[in-house]
Amino acid sequence: MKQPTGQKIVFWTLVIISIVTLSAPTFVVLGASVTSGNIIAFPPEGFSLRWYGKILGEQDLRDAFVRSLQVATICVLVSLPTGTLAGIALSKYRIRGGVAIQTYLLLPFTIPLIGSGIGLMLAFGDAGVLGNLWPVGVATSVINLPFMIWAVSSSAAGLDPDLELAAQSCGAGPIQTFFNVTLPAVTPGVITGSLLMFILSLNEFLVSLLLVDARIVTLPVQIYNSIRSIITPDLAAVSVVFIVVAMIAITILDKIVGLEIFLKSK
Amino acid sequence: MRNYRSSYPTTWRIMDVFEKAFAAIWPKGRGKYTPYLMLTPAIVLVGTLVVGLLYIGDSSLRTLDRSTFQFSDYWTLENYTRAFSESFTATIIWRSLLGAMIVTVVTLCLAFPYAYIMVRTPKAVLRKFLLIALFLPFFIGQVVRAYGWLIILGNQGMVNDVLGLVGVEPLRLLFNYPAVLFGLVQYMLPFAVLMLAPAMTAIPEEIEAAAGSLGASWIKTMTHVVIPMARPGLVGAGLVVLTLSLTDFAMPAILGGGSQDFIANAIYDQFFRTSDQGFGASLAIILIALGSVLVGVIFTVFGAGTLELGSTDK
Repeated sequence: MKQPTGQKIVFWTLVIISIVTLSAPTFVVLGASVTSGNIIAFPPEGFSLRWYGKILGEQDLRDAFVRSLQVATICVLVSLPTGTLAGIALSKYRIRGGVAIQTYLLLPFTIPLIGSGIGLMLAFGDAGVLGNLWPVGVATSVINLPFMIWAVSSSAAGLDPDLELAAQSCGAGPIQTFFNVTLPAVTPGVITGSLLMFILSLNEFLVSLLLVDARIVTLPVQIYNSIRSIITPDLAAVSVVFIVVAMIAITILDKIVGLEIFLKSK
Repeated sequence: MRNYRSSYPTTWRIMDVFEKAFAAIWPKGRGKYTPYLMLTPAIVLVGTLVVGLLYIGDSSLRTLDRSTFQFSDYWTLENYTRAFSESFTATIIWRSLLGAMIVTVVTLCLAFPYAYIMVRTPKAVLRKFLLIALFLPFFIGQVVRAYGWLIILGNQGMVNDVLGLVGVEPLRLLFNYPAVLFGLVQYMLPFAVLMLAPAMTAIPEEIEAAAGSLGASWIKTMTHVVIPMARPGLVGAGLVVLTLSLTDFAMPAILGGGSQDFIANAIYDQFFRTSDQGFGASLAIILIALGSVLVGVIFTVFGAGTLELGSTDK
C-alpha cells in the first residue's frame, strides 16, 4: 500500500530519531574503545587496541566476566525447565483458577525490581546463602521468568493437540508424548526464551548490585562501580564485551527462529 | 517363541522405565491435575519473591534505634508516618511519577511509528535492520548504554567537544532531570516496540486502505482506525514502560549523578548508606503499592492488553 507523503515524513523523522538514540551509545563505546589516547575525546586520537590489551591483563575484570557467565548459566538452568513446563501448561490446558495463576506468575514484572531485589536480599541473607553466586543466578531467573513462559507459551499455542492424541493412540505414554511430540513443537520458544534469559541475566545490574558483595561482583556492577570514579577507555573496551555477546545472541536468534517471530501476532 | 520384547531398542526401555516411574507417582486418575503439577516449579520459584515481600513488610514495621543501632522487636507504623510526613518522600515520589509519565508518552510516540514501519514495510532488509537496531541495545544492558551516554554528553564528552570546536562554552548536559528522562526513553524504546509490534501485525492493511479510499486523511486513519485497533499493544507497552521507568535505578543513578534520585535510589540509599533498613523497607512497600495501584487502574480502565500469559481465546 502506498503511504501518504505527510505520513511518511512524520513517521520516518520519528523513526530516524529512534534509530540514532538507540544506536549512538553502541557506536560511541565501540569508537572510544579503540582510541590511542589516555582519555576519551572527540575526534578520537588515532586507532589502537591497547585498551583491549590492558583489560586482558586486569584480573578483577576477567573474574567479574566469568562470574557473570556463571550467573547467566545458572539462570538458564533454573528457568528453562520451570518456564517450559509452565508455558506449556498455561497454553495447552484450560486451568481452573488460570487467571489467578497468571496474575501470580506475572508478579516478577509487577513488583518493582528494587522491591524484588531487596526482598530476595533479605530472604537470602536470612537463609545465610548470600556471598555465593547461585542466589544471584536464581534471583535473575525469578525476575525474568515471565519472558521464558511467554516465549514457550506463544510457540505452544501453535501446537496441534491432535498430534498428542495421535501419539497417545499409537501407544505413547505421557512422558514419551511430552518428549517426542510436545517438546519438539515448542523448541523454538524454548531456545528464544533461554537466549533471552541468558542475556538478561548477564546484563542484570540492580539485582546483582543488591545480592553481591565486594568479593563476587559481576561485570555490570564492576562497570558501574568504575564509571562513578573515572571514565577511562579501558571501560569502553570492557563494554565492547557486552556488545559482542549481544551481537552473537542476535545472530543465533535470527538463525534459529528468525527475529521476525517477535512481530507475529498472538 | 522368542520374547518379542528382547528386540526393543534401549531408548524404548529407558522410556518405559520413565513411564512406569511417572505412572507410579502420578496415577492416571490424577490426569486432570497434571497442569498444576507442571506449574508447580514456576509457582515455587515466584514464591521466593513473595517470601521476600514478607521480609520487606516485616522490616518496614520495625524502627531503627539510633543509639544502639538495633531494630525494634515490636511492630510500629512509625516508618510510614515518617515517610508520609517528610517532604523528601513527596519530592522523590513526584519526581519519579512525573518522570515515568513523560517517559511513557515520549516512548509511545517514538515506538508507534517504529513498530508501524517495521511491520508494514514490504522490504525484508529494512525490517531486519530495524529489528537489529532494536535488539542490539536491548541485549547490551543498561549500564553499558548509560556509559555510552556519559561519553556523549559529559562535560568533556563528544557533544561538548564538538561545541568547543565551534567556540561554544561547554554545556552541562548531564546530571539533570532531562538527561535521566532521555536515558529512560532510550532504555524503554525496545520494550515498547516489541510489545506494540504484534498488535500492529494483527491489524489488516486492507482496513487502512479502506479508510483511505473512503476519504480519510492519514491522520484520521491513524486516530480512528489504527490507534484504536492497536490499543491492546499500546496499553501493554505503556504499562511496561510506566512501571519500569517509575522504579528504575540505574538511569537516575548514572545519568542523574545523585541529584536526580528516583524512589529506587532513595530506597537503596536507606539500605546501604543510612543503614536504616526499616525506613527503606517502608519506602519499598510504598513504591510497590504505588506501582500496583497504577497497574490496577490501567487494567480496569483499558484491560490487560497484550500482557496476558498464554492464550486467552479458549
